[in-house]
Amino acid sequence: MNSIGLVAALTAFFSIWFGHVAVRKVEFLSPTIWPPTTIFATLGILVEFLSLSTAHRPLSAALGILGITLLWDSIELSRQQRRIITGHAPANPNNRRHAKILREHSAATTQDLLKREPIGSVVSTAEMSQLVSNL
Amino acid sequence: MNYFGLLIGFATLCVIGFGFPLVIRGERIFGYLWWPYMMVTGILFVVISLCIQIDWISVLVGVLGATFVWGSTELKEQAVRAELGWYPFNANKLKPPFEEIIKKWRAPHL
Repeated sequence: MNSIGLVAALTAFFSIWFGHVAVRKVEFLSPTIWPPTTIFATLGILVEFLSLSTAHRPLSAALGILGITLLWDSIELSRQQRRIITGHAPANPNNRRHAKILREHSAATTQDLLKREPIGSVVSTAEMSQLVSNL
Repeated sequence: MNYFGLLIGFATLCVIGFGFPLVIRGERIFGYLWWPYMMVTGILFVVISLCIQIDWISVLVGVLGATFVWGSTELKEQAVRAELGWYPFNANKLKPPFEEIIKKWRAPHL
């Protein structure tokens, strides 16, 4: 039995999950995205250095994976802002950066258009709002 | 300096990168109702990784398993994206075995 693959799998799954939730929450609430971008990137680099400085292989692998996902999360913050602009993710009207996006980009919306079950057919713009409001 | 973790990190990034087309194409061809099969495939990869003695390969197979499990939780949202026209929609998807039973289960999303 070699548990290093399991360690890597669990680290990858939970760090992707954490990043997925954290990027959405932080981008939703933060009035500017460069401070959290810097924090994620710095943490990522720091964790990679820790990975380089340990001789313990499973720990080194876990830190290596965690560090890379944190670095990816720092890039994802800008990609998430792009999703807000295109209406692919819900904007927060109480966040002044999002309020500006809502004023300047007609596709931006406060509705989470993905928060529903699939219906098995293509939906129109009017239907998509209706489906989400029916929840 | 131990470069093992750093290289594993970059390799993981590539494996997760493979997860994006896997979910997009998988949903288009098969549909989101295949999620239990994708999840079980992922768990099987992780179990197989336990039997691999070479650390490098064990890690990559484990991470591939995690990617499949994560992908299974993304299929439902991808199905909605296709219905919204953000991705091409395929009306003639391959039906999964035991479709009626799977329909009664709530597809996971994290």
